[in-house]
Amino acid sequence: TAGNKIFHFGPCRISMSMTEIRSGFTAIKANIQARDPIRTLSILSHPHSLHKVKSSDRCCITYHLFNFYVDKVFKHCKTEDSYVNRKISSIANSFLSVKRRLGQCHEQNKCVCGQESAEKFKQILANYEGLNVISAAIKSLGELDILLDWME
Amino acid sequence: SGELYCSLPNPRNVHFESINMKNVLHWSAPEGTGDGVLYKVKYSVYGVGKWIRKPECRNINRTWCDLSRETSDYEEQYYATVKAFLNGMCSDWMETTRFNPLTDTKIDPPMISVSSTEKSISIILTAPEKWNRSPEGEPISLLQVYPGLQYNVSVLNKKTKKRWFFSVSNNTLVVPWLEPGTAYCVSAQIYVTTPLLHSGFSKEYCIDTLKDKTA
Repeated sequence: TAGNKIFHFGPCRISMSMTEIRSGFTAIKANIQARDPIRTLSILSHPHSLHKVKSSDRCCITYHLFNFYVDKVFKHCKTEDSYVNRKISSIANSFLSVKRRLGQCHEQNKCVCGQESAEKFKQILANYEGLNVISAAIKSLGELDILLDWME
Repeated sequence: SGELYCSLPNPRNVHFESINMKNVLHWSAPEGTGDGVLYKVKYSVYGVGKWIRKPECRNINRTWCDLSRETSDYEEQYYATVKAFLNGMCSDWMETTRFNPLTDTKIDPPMISVSSTEKSISIILTAPEKWNRSPEGEPISLLQVYPGLQYNVSVLNKKTKKRWFFSVSNNTLVVPWLEPGTAYCVSAQIYVTTPLLHSGFSKEYCIDTLKDKTA
């Protein structure tokens, strides 16, 4: 479909509706980020930035992050605004299909996880668990552009 | 910290205005305050703990502050905040929303150069450069920042008023099968698919195809 982008993670090739996800996030970015008053903590970008990930670890980190967003983030991001909720569920559905495809790559050993990616993801989880569930989920959702910028 | 009693109205509409990643903080004066208001500015990197003062924007009376140097790493995101002072009183610190230089900048149209033959015109497109920390340093094209950058090109036959649109990824375009001795006008726009960004169209550059020597 229009706006689909093919990501090549070594032997693993994933098609993603990037434009759709981006426009969905752009529509709710100000609303979601305004719900996150904590400036001094980040889930994805500090203390270790995603941008320092070796290319060989990209697939595994992406695989872990999509599982993280589907399993831990979207379900805790209910708001009182139905428009925002619809946008969140649309993004979640896109993430779900990518998560499945990454899972297939992982099962076929096309998305190998090394020590460094495990460490990196452990740090992200530690950042997440350092906050209460709702704050952590809203903060993670507000950082979706950090993930998308890194992927691209 | 020896803060004064802060009952001054707050600066309003504190926000970044960014063009080609030249990132300038803007705000409006507090309501109802005439001349004489001074301001302080601080900024912070999202996810990092501290607010950093901007010395060049301390006790200024203008309502903007260039933070391009401080926000030039577009892999980071930022906040900035402004405080107003007048006659011993002060306002609260008023913050921007989270600023992402990569997605929140505006892009200028491309530069165009055009040449012609009898039946074709050649168009060379140049993307604008990213704001540069040191003018002597190596310029960085926005093409390097946005690898998916494309150009939408419009070509108008001034005689027939017929217009064509082309979408190209590389920076040259040759438009063939044109009429000799005719004026054509070209304008172009930059288009980035993700993150979704586009410039306005450039002004028009007009050129005549050469006259048909055999006619």
